[in-house]
Amino acid sequence: MTEIKKQITRFKKKFNFNSKKEVIDFLVRTFFLLSTILSASFIVIIIIFIAQKGVIPFVTDNDGIGRVNLWKFLTGLDWLKGTAFKSNLYGVGFIIINTLYISFFALLISMPIGVLTALFIAKIAPKKIAEFLRTVVELLAAVPSIVYGLFGSGLILTLVYNLAKIFGVQSKGGNSVLAVILVLALMILPTITALSEVAIRSVNKDIEHGSLALGATRTQTNFKVVLSSAKSGIFSAAILGLGRALGEATAVSLVAGNARSGPSLAFFEITSTLTSTMLQGLKETIGIDYDIRFSVGLVLMVVILFSNLTLNFIKKKVGNVDVK
Amino acid sequence: MSNKRKRIDLIYQGITYAAASVAVIVLSMIFIYVFTNGSGLLNFGLITTDYHAKFYNSGIQEVDQFSTAPRPDNLGEDTYYSEKWGIALADSEDREGKLVITVEYVSEDSPLKNLMYDKNSEDEKPIQLEEGDILGTIKFNDKGSALSIYGAKNMLDELDEEDTFREMVFYTKGGGIRGSIITTLYLIGLTMLLALPIGVFTAIYLNEFAPINRFTNILRSMIEVLTGVPSIIFGLMGLAVFVPLTVKYTPADSGNIISGAMTLAVILLPVIIRSTEESLKVVPDAFRQASLALGANETQTTFKVVLPSAIPGILTATLLAIGRVIGESAALIFAIGTAIKDDISIFGKSTSLAVHIWSLMTDEPANIELASTIAVIILIIVLALNLLVKLVSKKFTKKFD
Repeated sequence: MTEIKKQITRFKKKFNFNSKKEVIDFLVRTFFLLSTILSASFIVIIIIFIAQKGVIPFVTDNDGIGRVNLWKFLTGLDWLKGTAFKSNLYGVGFIIINTLYISFFALLISMPIGVLTALFIAKIAPKKIAEFLRTVVELLAAVPSIVYGLFGSGLILTLVYNLAKIFGVQSKGGNSVLAVILVLALMILPTITALSEVAIRSVNKDIEHGSLALGATRTQTNFKVVLSSAKSGIFSAAILGLGRALGEATAVSLVAGNARSGPSLAFFEITSTLTSTMLQGLKETIGIDYDIRFSVGLVLMVVILFSNLTLNFIKKKVGNVDVK
Repeated sequence: MSNKRKRIDLIYQGITYAAASVAVIVLSMIFIYVFTNGSGLLNFGLITTDYHAKFYNSGIQEVDQFSTAPRPDNLGEDTYYSEKWGIALADSEDREGKLVITVEYVSEDSPLKNLMYDKNSEDEKPIQLEEGDILGTIKFNDKGSALSIYGAKNMLDELDEEDTFREMVFYTKGGGIRGSIITTLYLIGLTMLLALPIGVFTAIYLNEFAPINRFTNILRSMIEVLTGVPSIIFGLMGLAVFVPLTVKYTPADSGNIISGAMTLAVILLPVIIRSTEESLKVVPDAFRQASLALGANETQTTFKVVLPSAIPGILTATLLAIGRVIGESAALIFAIGTAIKDDISIFGKSTSLAVHIWSLMTDEPANIELASTIAVIILIIVLALNLLVKLVSKKFTKKFD
């Protein structure tokens, strides 16, 4: 005990502490700071380690197979020419296009439905119905993505398959661009609805009252004044929704059909996204076929970053209206 | 207001009603789909049995007392019963459409229940034929074997002629999810053990101690960015960082439950931090000042005054986090693997319930029925947790005036 006491006294002198309490305060504070730094460091760890593994195919000769050409990788229209373990001819160009194309359409379906639902919950619905719908949206957001995947591959694939038949197109059991779009649209709907509702509710009441005083009806006010005042918040909802659509993995991989070349622009064609490609062929644990997955992950992170920046840029252009 | 205006307003309002109904329809369709497909297999046996079928080669001791139990009344029309051996067999199909013979009933005094031993075990330990098992072949001493392809009736007739047999090959049905449930529980426990302290400490630091400066802002936004990272990227990180780490310092030799829990902990950190911070924010400053004025130091104030008020927030965070652990699939596919196991070790591969679904769905042919059954279990737990969160935050949130 005396040894510890001596240590504490020395410690106190060194840092100018006046009492034992201050020493404890200092230690606790440092400990808490360390956990905070640990929490914050994970984003750096993610970027460093994925980048470190992701560049291996481009800078080493991959055990004699040869370096992957970065330009060909980014613009390639075939995932893999040749056979696995033997080829360095990987390409993700078409997969990037597929991913953006699919996410755009998912957003196109989900945005109007989500924003109108949000408007309904925030402004139009009676209190009880609004509360019920809010719970429904929360539950939808809580449904795990694998369950959406199961639902998609059971019900939506059948739906798309029959739809394709009506159009006289042969679809691969329903695995198609359209199926992925529909599943993603369902998955991002709760995100968009919840965030839009917050945006709509935080619109300044004065603007609304002004519109009503000028003789506009409630509905006119809701659609023309409230929605356009909340557009900045609604844009944020779109950004988050898009992020979720771009990064969604398991559900997409169950309905995409895993096209190996593309891009797939027709709605009944099979397709593949960056995430579904990463989930392909998990059996390899070594070599280029393993490392290339990290390269695709890196591409995914860059794609998400760029689409976020673009939407944020548009959001700034669209401008901000007086909100609380 | 003109009539035309009224009509247009009504149409606009109608559109919002239609949009809002989409959410309700989707949620009920998911429920109906999952329940209609999954309820068939949903029973208590599912969560206590193994996924992989176990094969047994059994022999039988000399029988001096055969069964005397009469045929039970509740057996179906096409079930065949042998009073001598006290078993009932029926023909059925397995999931691949192959004909198999299932054991429908074994009476209490059946020799097959009391006198059989496992030929493959060294000390010939006794085993029993149980209801639900699938009968493969019965090999006799002095005549040809009874094979399952000839049907249940043939097998029983052959068996009835004899007083003993050389070997009976049978296997358990499998298809249970016991292993995945244990893995999921391990994951929940380990993840919470890792994520809760770090998350709560971080929230306390950010809310109670952190000076308002650039450095704090950078830390804050670095944590904030984590929320936008897709889970598959966390999975890649788990594969690149935590799997090698656990392989080096534990007996594990590939993806394992610990590396999975570490990955999940990182995913959950922002959730826990935000929820805890929210509840710390509403604690009035007067509480802290009063405590400090009474002579308590910062540590005492934090642990004895501020933290107790944050308990509901931490509880909410824990419930939400458990829901995320149960539902997470993409990250775990990378951080642990997709091999379904029955003997669970935290240093070995196995699947959580969600990854179990993924494995079933990517199998050829996909086992949609069992996948839906697991989905039913996941859905019920996750939705119950969410409703519980609502209840907790309503009931326990202290109102400080």
